[in-house]
Amino acid sequence: MNRSPLTVPLRAIWNALYWTHERATWQYDVMVIAILAFVWLTPPDWLRDPTASGTGPIAWLIHLFR
Amino acid sequence: MAPLREAAPLTIMTFTGFIGDVCMLPLRAIIAVCVRWRIHPNVLTFIGVLINVAAAWALAARRFVLAGVVMVVANIFDFIDGKVARELQMESPFGGFWDSVMDRFSDISLFIGLIYLYSNMRRTDYVMIAALAMMFAILTSYTRARAESIVEKCKVGFMERPERIVLFMIGAFTNRMGAVLWVILVLSILTVADRIYFTWRELNARTKPTIA
Repeated sequence: MNRSPLTVPLRAIWNALYWTHERATWQYDVMVIAILAFVWLTPPDWLRDPTASGTGPIAWLIHLFR
Repeated sequence: MAPLREAAPLTIMTFTGFIGDVCMLPLRAIIAVCVRWRIHPNVLTFIGVLINVAAAWALAARRFVLAGVVMVVANIFDFIDGKVARELQMESPFGGFWDSVMDRFSDISLFIGLIYLYSNMRRTDYVMIAALAMMFAILTSYTRARAESIVEKCKVGFMERPERIVLFMIGAFTNRMGAVLWVILVLSILTVADRIYFTWRELNARTKPTIA
């Protein structure tokens, strides 16, 4: 079968958007890790978070390697 | 020749499954105490709601760590009520109805706490984000309830109540409520869309004529 190289990533994106997986599956784990990464690694300034303090690890790393 | 043995299915412990199992250990003890004292599950549900209102107050007062601790306590009650009902054989249609109504009450209370906080800080943008997240959180449960009156099951979509509550706790304990609200908003919109699409597809498949 002639499959386009885009099939797998497009399928992954579709599966993430149209979520049909149960809890405690590897797909659920991946989603949880992605969410936690967003919550903890995004500098609060980028989101203009009114209550969070500190720049967050990403901004800290950018500053370190600059 | 020896018969080929069917390979046993490989079960892998996921890290979310492991966390769930660890959290179940103290909960089992609490459930056992409630069963021994024969506490009515509807009472447990109501106590959970009252404690959640206290968490909402703590969020409104910008006392996030306190809010996180109170949310943990509230959701212990919220989690065990169904299990206690099963153990005591007190499951009833009214209990299910009461539980889901009180869940919405708790959800809305937490969002109102945050809306109050952001409006006090004159942050209209986050008032809107919290209000929209609240709207789609309610629509998440409404779409499922309405869908399940016309199709058998509608459990698609990631952002259900347990995920929302855990995210609230993470936001409160780590002081990242802004990011948490964005996640709840975006994933709740997707969940509502998933449920609408799923129901439409199920109903379409049902009404299509079959070729003999």
